[in-house]
Amino acid sequence: MNIYQPHLMRIREITDETVDTRTLKLEFQDSKVAEEFQFSAGQFGEYSVFGEGESTFCIASPPTRTGYIECSFKASGKVTLALRRLAVGDTLGFRGPYGNHFPIEEMKGHSAVFIAGGIGLAPVRCAILNVLDLRDQFKDVTIIYGARTVGDLVYKRELEEWAKRSDLKLCLAVDPGGETPDWKGLVARIPTAVEQAVSTAEDTFAVICGPPIMIKFTLPVLTKLGFPGERIYTTLENRMKCGLGKCGRCNIGPTYVCKDGPVFTAAQIRELPQEF
Amino acid sequence: MTHRFLSHASLTALVAELVAAKTRVIAPVRAQDDPEQVDYRPIQKLEDVALGVRLTRGSLKEFFLPPTEVLLYYKQTKEGVDIREVPTEAPPQVILGSTPCDAAALEVVDKVMGWDYRDELWFGRRAASTIVSLLCTAMDSTCFCTATGLSPDSFRGSDALLVPVEDGYLAHVITPKGEALLQKYAEADECMKASAEVAQGEARQKVEKNLAAIPPEFSAWLAANFDNPIWKTIALRCHGCGACAGVCPTCHCFDIVDEHDTADEGVRRRNWDSCQTSKFTLHASGHNPRQSQSERFRQRIQHKFSIYPSRFAEILCTGCGRCTRACPGGMDLPKLLDELMTLAKSEATGSEPKGSSL
Repeated sequence: MNIYQPHLMRIREITDETVDTRTLKLEFQDSKVAEEFQFSAGQFGEYSVFGEGESTFCIASPPTRTGYIECSFKASGKVTLALRRLAVGDTLGFRGPYGNHFPIEEMKGHSAVFIAGGIGLAPVRCAILNVLDLRDQFKDVTIIYGARTVGDLVYKRELEEWAKRSDLKLCLAVDPGGETPDWKGLVARIPTAVEQAVSTAEDTFAVICGPPIMIKFTLPVLTKLGFPGERIYTTLENRMKCGLGKCGRCNIGPTYVCKDGPVFTAAQIRELPQEF
Repeated sequence: MTHRFLSHASLTALVAELVAAKTRVIAPVRAQDDPEQVDYRPIQKLEDVALGVRLTRGSLKEFFLPPTEVLLYYKQTKEGVDIREVPTEAPPQVILGSTPCDAAALEVVDKVMGWDYRDELWFGRRAASTIVSLLCTAMDSTCFCTATGLSPDSFRGSDALLVPVEDGYLAHVITPKGEALLQKYAEADECMKASAEVAQGEARQKVEKNLAAIPPEFSAWLAANFDNPIWKTIALRCHGCGACAGVCPTCHCFDIVDEHDTADEGVRRRNWDSCQTSKFTLHASGHNPRQSQSERFRQRIQHKFSIYPSRFAEILCTGCGRCTRACPGGMDLPKLLDELMTLAKSEATGSEPKGSSL
């Protein structure tokens, strides 16, 4: 089997997150592949619709939940539009898992702050669920999530579950103008929400993912709170084709997002050329 | 290493034997669309070959990483999808009369193809190929192999290297593959070896004057000068057409696309691609990390002379000069490298560089 050969997966379940964002629950068709498949939170794959092509997304479900993987995508290009046309029971291709992962092992015994904006919750959700499935091995868990409007919030069923839990602090926010009359969360942008929800960086890891503009304005807030760059983790996305370090398009200077990433610390990102 | 002598008649017979045995023989021939030009093409007999008359337009790359190749065949069925794999084993081929820079390029690209994940399609073709290069005597002003650590008589990547001598060729037999192909020929005598050494020395001198050796510290200078204002002006002549990447023996970037043959059947293909086009890095959101041609050209230079060395301890360039010859905008790589190296050197010594012609 050459390295560009995908495994076949069948769609078990489809969930619409927003008007244009959808989550697919997928299972391997080959039971041997299903048994042997292992991954870590933060890794990604190449998902393909035969006849349309491949597209790169993180695995949005945690490694603690076996027998399936999930991916979430926004219909915006040829492959993602084709993915939207697929129904439960249809077949698609998957290559992976590729890349590095979040430091879940190192985070054990410490507190975690998860910060996400919009569809950026997908990779962070993988880490959140991983941590929540092993909840007793971590100290405080804080989740700060925001989107432009209430309608743009993804994984609403999980947001509702998290809101009910007493062992985590959830802070939801929408941009000013994005609220609905019954919105009970914050009307604020993410940096403001982080300032309100997080009081200390002590013994805490931060995981952040969202639009570049959100990350740009949130990092100074985290730094002010006392988070060293080595304890702030994010995940980068660049256009990719192979995911294997060969096709030559995801590099930022000498750093290959597909192999050195997609997970980087804020300290590592500061050292990268400004070309992402 | 052994040295053997092949007369013109021996070489003619060798090609005939290989062709009769269904081995694909690839050699430089006059281009069908332009007899002034030479291309590597499969041949049937030695008389078709244009050995050493001029540098080929394309490199050997296409015989190892084809411009387009099928990665898989798919068929939609009622039950799902059937996938048919492509074989990773390739039929035997002999390359005859390649330039040493093109043979060396294959070994340079081996590194990225074998990095962690092994590209069996590439290595299948590599394993099935025997490469008999020819001392390069057709160099022009765009060539700079000696600046990259190679030479017109480099052994790197070749299984044997032919050097024209009286009445035929002296063959430096470099690898067991080369020995397997050429062992039946007589050992070359000392007189032939001496004559070959003279020809090789003359060839080296011809290229050496084109560009000084690229120093090892150039790679670190490029990395430290990612934001140097020179990148804004250096690519003003570049149209972003990507012709340089097509003819380059070491450019290996590719795209993966699906194509329907019918509604239910089709193929997944790998196609050559180039970092010089704006779509190369375009995100689905519309964001593009490399928006201008200067950023894209910087990527090309940084990848070849800084990123690749930082990963694989060597530059991604064999000095073949094709990018310069193919460029419709007149981008002259040895000249640009000379400017950049002069700038790097002047910074190191604190002296002012002479007026830039960029």
